[in-house]
Amino acid sequence: MDRRGMLRWAVRGIGLVMAGLVGGPAVATLLSPVFRGRRRKMWQAVGPVAQFQAGTIQHAAVGAGQDSSLERGIYVWRREGGGFTVFSRACTDLACPITWDAGSKWFFCPCHGGIFDQEGNPVSGPPAYPLYRYRNRIRNGTLEVDVHSVPPLV
Amino acid sequence: MRRDVLSKWRAWAEHRFGLGPLREQVLDRRVPRTAWYQGDGAALAALLGVLVATGMCMTPTYAPTPERAYDSVEYLSHEQLLGWFIRGLHYWAAGLMVVMLFVHLFRLILVGGYKFPREGTWLVGVVLFYLVLTMAFTGYILRWDERAIYALRAAMNMMWRMPLIGDELVVFIQGGEWIGERTLTRVYAVHVVFVPALLVSLVGWHLYLVMLRGVTSRAERGHAIRTLEEHQQVYKAAEQSERDGEPFHPVTTARTGAMGLVMVMAAAGLAVVVGPGQLQPPASLVAPAFPAEEWYFWWYSGLIALLPGWVAPWFVLAFPAVVFVALVSLPFVDRSPYRGIRRRPLAAASVVVLAAAMLYLTDLRRRSPWTGWPDAIPPPVPATAELSRDAQRGRALFAVHGCTSCHAVGGHGRRVGPDLARLDPPRSASHLRAYILQPPPGVQMPAYHHILSEQDLDRIVAFVLVAQTFPSEMDTE
Repeated sequence: MDRRGMLRWAVRGIGLVMAGLVGGPAVATLLSPVFRGRRRKMWQAVGPVAQFQAGTIQHAAVGAGQDSSLERGIYVWRREGGGFTVFSRACTDLACPITWDAGSKWFFCPCHGGIFDQEGNPVSGPPAYPLYRYRNRIRNGTLEVDVHSVPPLV
Repeated sequence: MRRDVLSKWRAWAEHRFGLGPLREQVLDRRVPRTAWYQGDGAALAALLGVLVATGMCMTPTYAPTPERAYDSVEYLSHEQLLGWFIRGLHYWAAGLMVVMLFVHLFRLILVGGYKFPREGTWLVGVVLFYLVLTMAFTGYILRWDERAIYALRAAMNMMWRMPLIGDELVVFIQGGEWIGERTLTRVYAVHVVFVPALLVSLVGWHLYLVMLRGVTSRAERGHAIRTLEEHQQVYKAAEQSERDGEPFHPVTTARTGAMGLVMVMAAAGLAVVVGPGQLQPPASLVAPAFPAEEWYFWWYSGLIALLPGWVAPWFVLAFPAVVFVALVSLPFVDRSPYRGIRRRPLAAASVVVLAAAMLYLTDLRRRSPWTGWPDAIPPPVPATAELSRDAQRGRALFAVHGCTSCHAVGGHGRRVGPDLARLDPPRSASHLRAYILQPPPGVQMPAYHHILSEQDLDRIVAFVLVAQTFPSEMDTE
């Protein structure tokens, strides 16, 4: 290799070093939320059990347990036979906010015609999956849900 | 004397600031004759200019935090001097830009604008297409109202369908496990720094290539062009010809600039007459909401609504990807030597079908006949109709039991199920009873056999029997 050829490689090298020096950390810092590790269980209080009437589906809210995150709506169904089913309010098509219709006992999505029955099974429209259910438990008379038991976007 | 001084200064500036070569190479060249409709590119450039300028004017006011964003947009729209105009101009220029983006894309498919030697111009254009749509989408997230937050969540739901890295992708965009402060700052960064920087640079490159490789001229569309040399000959001949060519400045610039002016005037007119995009209630994932995307995405939303469950989950991700691959491969797949539409019926037909489909889907989404929603108001009754006591009670129960969530009566109400004033032929009482208690298999209607008492069922049936006699298009007073 002649002198000029070596210089050409040197210039390319200089460029690469500088790009890598900035680019590597830049990409890493932008991607950093992803590297924060696996989602562990995170129990959040919804409200005292007595607040929910057996046999009805009620709207409630749950916090994220983290600063600067928005509360989300959920649907709490206290079953007549005992136990709770807690649905995410996100339609399983594109996460539009479903609403519970106590008259027809169906959930309606405002966006693309998704409809779910009381058990959360899709009955109409594009949704392919049943409603997401939060894992729930009762501690000291309070209903709690694991906010990480549903996908991160609902 | 004064003229002399002026031209001296001008010559000095041209030399010292290197403007001479720019003028010679860009403005003072000849190009093939341009048609008025080739101004769609100039219109896009003009609208981009408006968007950059108005966007810059809004950044000093806008506060990219969930607590302050909505209020700062309100302040901008209602209190800041001329803020309503700047935001209106930004809003309408963005909407028109999306429209012109599709016009430009379709027109270039019609004239074979992706064919040699312009594959590079086309490919940069394809990237610009996605960047403009990204801007159009992220822009209305920044309002941080109900529409914004659910649009964001819908987009993340699409990302989440990505195999293997769906969760990570969502966390990356959200900036965490939940939508929050970091989500908004990330969208803000994308809309205000990352994409605009890339977009403006690539527009520069796009225009540089347009200058260097030209645009499809009428001369190229008459007959087959098979080689680069042949193309160069045809193009050069048109450029230099008195009949088929023209000076770029001020002839081409005036003709294409006209559409740019029309579009900017249209955006300004709409900003004054209609005003900026209306703010919906502030972003909340708890409050009851009935969100919808901005009008320029209605066609896509309408398309999604038509998808069956086995297609929908992967379609939302596959569709943009397939369109991207199709657009990128177009110049390499379509190798025919013709550029005029007469010899390319497939291209012409595709564009007509696509444009018609987009308009149809837009209207379909506007009507959204698939959406059911609870409504506590009982259906209207014509002034002349006389309802029995049972039918009166049935009408109230019709709303109580959620029949109104899906059924219209005489054109009023939701369109998920049939309009009960339009049942043809009218159904008998026994048929209605059986149907309501247990709809036949395949019918998407809840079974009411555990829900309704005998008496309530009788009343609802009594109402539906009367409703069947109502006019199919009722006037409401």
